[in-house]
Amino acid sequence: MVLGAVSCISIVYFYILQRNFSKNHREFKIALNSLQDNHQELNYLILQNSISVYSNQDQIAKDTNNLLVDYETLSQSHILNSSKYKKIQKDLLILKEQLKNNSQNVEEFLMLSAGIKNSLLFLTRHVENGIALKHNGQNIFFSAGKILKHFNDAIRMQDLDYLKNGNFLLPTDTTNQKIKDYATSFNAHSSFLMKKYPEFIQITKQVLSSNIDASINKIRTSFFTISRNDFAALDMFALILFTVFSSSLLGTIFLLFLYIKENKKLLETKESLEHSLSYDLLTNLYNRRMLEKKLKSSIAPHLLLLDIDEFKHINDIYGNAIGNLLLQKMARFIQVKLSDIPDISLYRLSADEFGVLFDDTQEVVVLSIAHMLEKEIAKHTFTIDDLELNVLVSISSNNVSPILENADLALKLLKKDYTKRVLAYQENLNLKKSAQENFETVALIRDALAEDRIIPYFQPIINLKTSKIEKYEALVRLQMKNGTILSPFRFLEVSKKTPYYREITKVIIEKTLATLKEYPSLRFSINISMIDILDEEIVKIFLSHLRENMPDSSRLDIELLESENIQNIEKVKHFIGEVKKFGSQILLDDFGSGYSNFAYFSDLDIDMIKIDGSIISEITTSERKLHMLKSIYQFSKGMHMINIAEFVETREMALLLKEVGVKYAQGYYFSQPLAKPLDYTDVSI
Amino acid sequence: MNKLALIVLLFICIYADEPISPIPLKNNINTEKAKLGQLLFCDPILSQDNSTACVSCHDIYGGGADSRAVSIGFAGREGNIHAPSVLNAKYNFKQFWNGRAENLLEQANEPINNPLEHAMNFHSIEQRMNASPMYKEKFQKVYHVSFISYRLVLDAIVEFENTLTTPNAKFDKFLRHEIKLDKEEEEGYILFKQYGCITCHNGVNIGGNSFQKMGTFLEYTSKKEYPDRSKVTHDKNHKNVFKVPTLRNITLSAPYFHDASKQTLKEAIIAMSEHNLGIKLSDQEIEKIIAFLHTLEGERPYILDIK
Repeated sequence: MVLGAVSCISIVYFYILQRNFSKNHREFKIALNSLQDNHQELNYLILQNSISVYSNQDQIAKDTNNLLVDYETLSQSHILNSSKYKKIQKDLLILKEQLKNNSQNVEEFLMLSAGIKNSLLFLTRHVENGIALKHNGQNIFFSAGKILKHFNDAIRMQDLDYLKNGNFLLPTDTTNQKIKDYATSFNAHSSFLMKKYPEFIQITKQVLSSNIDASINKIRTSFFTISRNDFAALDMFALILFTVFSSSLLGTIFLLFLYIKENKKLLETKESLEHSLSYDLLTNLYNRRMLEKKLKSSIAPHLLLLDIDEFKHINDIYGNAIGNLLLQKMARFIQVKLSDIPDISLYRLSADEFGVLFDDTQEVVVLSIAHMLEKEIAKHTFTIDDLELNVLVSISSNNVSPILENADLALKLLKKDYTKRVLAYQENLNLKKSAQENFETVALIRDALAEDRIIPYFQPIINLKTSKIEKYEALVRLQMKNGTILSPFRFLEVSKKTPYYREITKVIIEKTLATLKEYPSLRFSINISMIDILDEEIVKIFLSHLRENMPDSSRLDIELLESENIQNIEKVKHFIGEVKKFGSQILLDDFGSGYSNFAYFSDLDIDMIKIDGSIISEITTSERKLHMLKSIYQFSKGMHMINIAEFVETREMALLLKEVGVKYAQGYYFSQPLAKPLDYTDVSI
Repeated sequence: MNKLALIVLLFICIYADEPISPIPLKNNINTEKAKLGQLLFCDPILSQDNSTACVSCHDIYGGGADSRAVSIGFAGREGNIHAPSVLNAKYNFKQFWNGRAENLLEQANEPINNPLEHAMNFHSIEQRMNASPMYKEKFQKVYHVSFISYRLVLDAIVEFENTLTTPNAKFDKFLRHEIKLDKEEEEGYILFKQYGCITCHNGVNIGGNSFQKMGTFLEYTSKKEYPDRSKVTHDKNHKNVFKVPTLRNITLSAPYFHDASKQTLKEAIIAMSEHNLGIKLSDQEIEKIIAFLHTLEGERPYILDIK
């Protein structure tokens, strides 16, 4: 910056200096040339004047004056202020003296010249007049002519030699008064010329041979010599200036470089700011973004994924505030437990999922740490306010790329396996394959829907007392392009995570209803899970179809599939109330497995209970199962609910069920699910 | 003989251009300034006792010179020399009889400071000028100044003097080939040349471009000591050397010579031909020369007719 300013000022200074110098230089040169021109013109005019009889002397006066004016200009020239030109000032003083002398000489010359010319003119005229002289006046006339010739020659040649050795006076010793007067007048001018002429010649020579020209030339030469040095100095200055300018340019570049560097720092600061954004605000651990970043820069990453089991329950039971505090405590706990371990970083990846990233650490070590951590957490009681919480964690471990995805898959698998708390990802877990299969299944469902290959299969339900088919259960099937039929366990679970699930439900309802219309003496049932009922869209579809297909829809029953942890039982209750308006009956599916809850019967208006296949299939072999069957039957009877047994595979089973009093049965003993209901209704047991 | 005449003729032919040139008709003058100068030129405010103006000694309406032998200045004191004409003075190569001033500015300065003439100095001039509302206003208008400096007073006067030219004399018109001279006038001019008057009286001012000795040929004696060239050069040979006076309007500026010793032109011509040419002129010749000299009367300076 300073350098730039200095170079700018220098450029201006140089410009002024250069301009002034050039101006002064020119001024001096012009004055010198003018002086010389004037002097030469003056010399010419003097020469002319010395030869001619008369001339206009204005120019001589003017030139003489101009010489002095030029000299003044010259001597006051600014360039002479410089000490280098002292030598010239000396020469100028000499020139001044010469000019002064010359000026006086010119004045003198003009004075002498006037007199000489006048006398010469007089003599010329006088000689002419001598023609008139008589007698020996003739000799006088000739003598006068001769003398005049000498004078004229002398003047023309500017040579005194013509006036040497001779008599330039006419004899006056005549008695003739006229001749005497003639000679006297002649002699007066002749002697005037003789006296003044040498002075005139001398002064003329002095004027014409003055050293002024030489002095001017000398001044010019030394002026140019000195000024050449000055110009050289100016050139040098320009060079220096150029150097300064260049270096300031370089300086600017350097500053620019600094700026870029500074900018880089700024970027780094920004990055660190972003880095701070990479922290999880709740636990102050790194967040998922940071993990992804860190994974990219790690050489040999090894990730532990830690998930709190049933964290959702904690949140549900104690509220998010406690849940968050638990997460913070967990984060601190993990931090403390792992504080001695080098090359690790801790993350909170999602709600209750933590990550521990190792870099370049042996797998054995990582796994032992995972086990240690799991055990420590299980042992530890987290105290939040006055609440004491014991939690378990599942930890998956993975060092196979893609790190996070594989760890996630392992964790998911681990969650399903209650026997293990720590699981290391291995290629042979085939987790990825199943994910791939999921993807393929989704594509399958999508295509099947598009090509109308989602179809209901119907399994007859037999009244054991009358041995007649009274009902059919509609079961969803996916028909492959080659005609093979896929059972729901191959695609239904996957479809539930996609929007296609509603589509499937809708298709099954529609097709079941269509079949139902063809068999007016039969009832049909459709499976629907309690979770489905929470989906308002599905409920809407269901109810609108029932409404549209009245009164046939009164023969469509609902097989309610029990789901884990139904939170909003009110919605289910409401749904049952709605479908019952159309005459549908409600059937509780798979009773006797899973969470089968008697509470349902107090809240829900259920007409039938389908006893789970796990009980039915063993009634002939297990006393316990038979007892369970009987208990369910008794319970159902008391509650005025009808029983259906599924998975009936043998006649023995059918007879036993009949004996117990179970009204309906279905299963392979009677018929597997069929594309269409049977043409007949009578079966033999 | 013929040969000699031929040489003379030849010389005349070679330099056939007349050695006298007419007064230029173009005059690059700032009239406003010149009018202010005229006012100053005629204002006795520039003398100590308010008695003397420039015009007192330089009759611009007549020959531009003083009809008195010597000028009368401050307190009636007499000057030491005959005041030369101010008309066409700008064409003189130097000013004053002895050429001690290089130009009109230097010249104008002197009489103002001369105790025999205006008896002032720059300080008193500035005091008087700045005390005058009229001058203050005029200088403000012309020079755009609020203070009138002595330098500006001189500048205005010089500007005025530069306008004092008398162009379009009959002889100038002759030189410009506009008219022919009368026979007598022409013969007078030829005599003027032949007898050598022209050797000193040439140029635009017919004189005023060189110094010459009064009495080159025959010593001239005056009754009194005059400030001649020797007072400037301190060379005793320059005694009686003066600037050759202009012959323009010479018929209107009697008396003649630095000592005003000749009252008529005829006397002056006779004296000059005796002392400087060494010849005797006949009455007839003198008449012819006088006739020629009359053709040198020019027009009145135009500035004097501008209101």
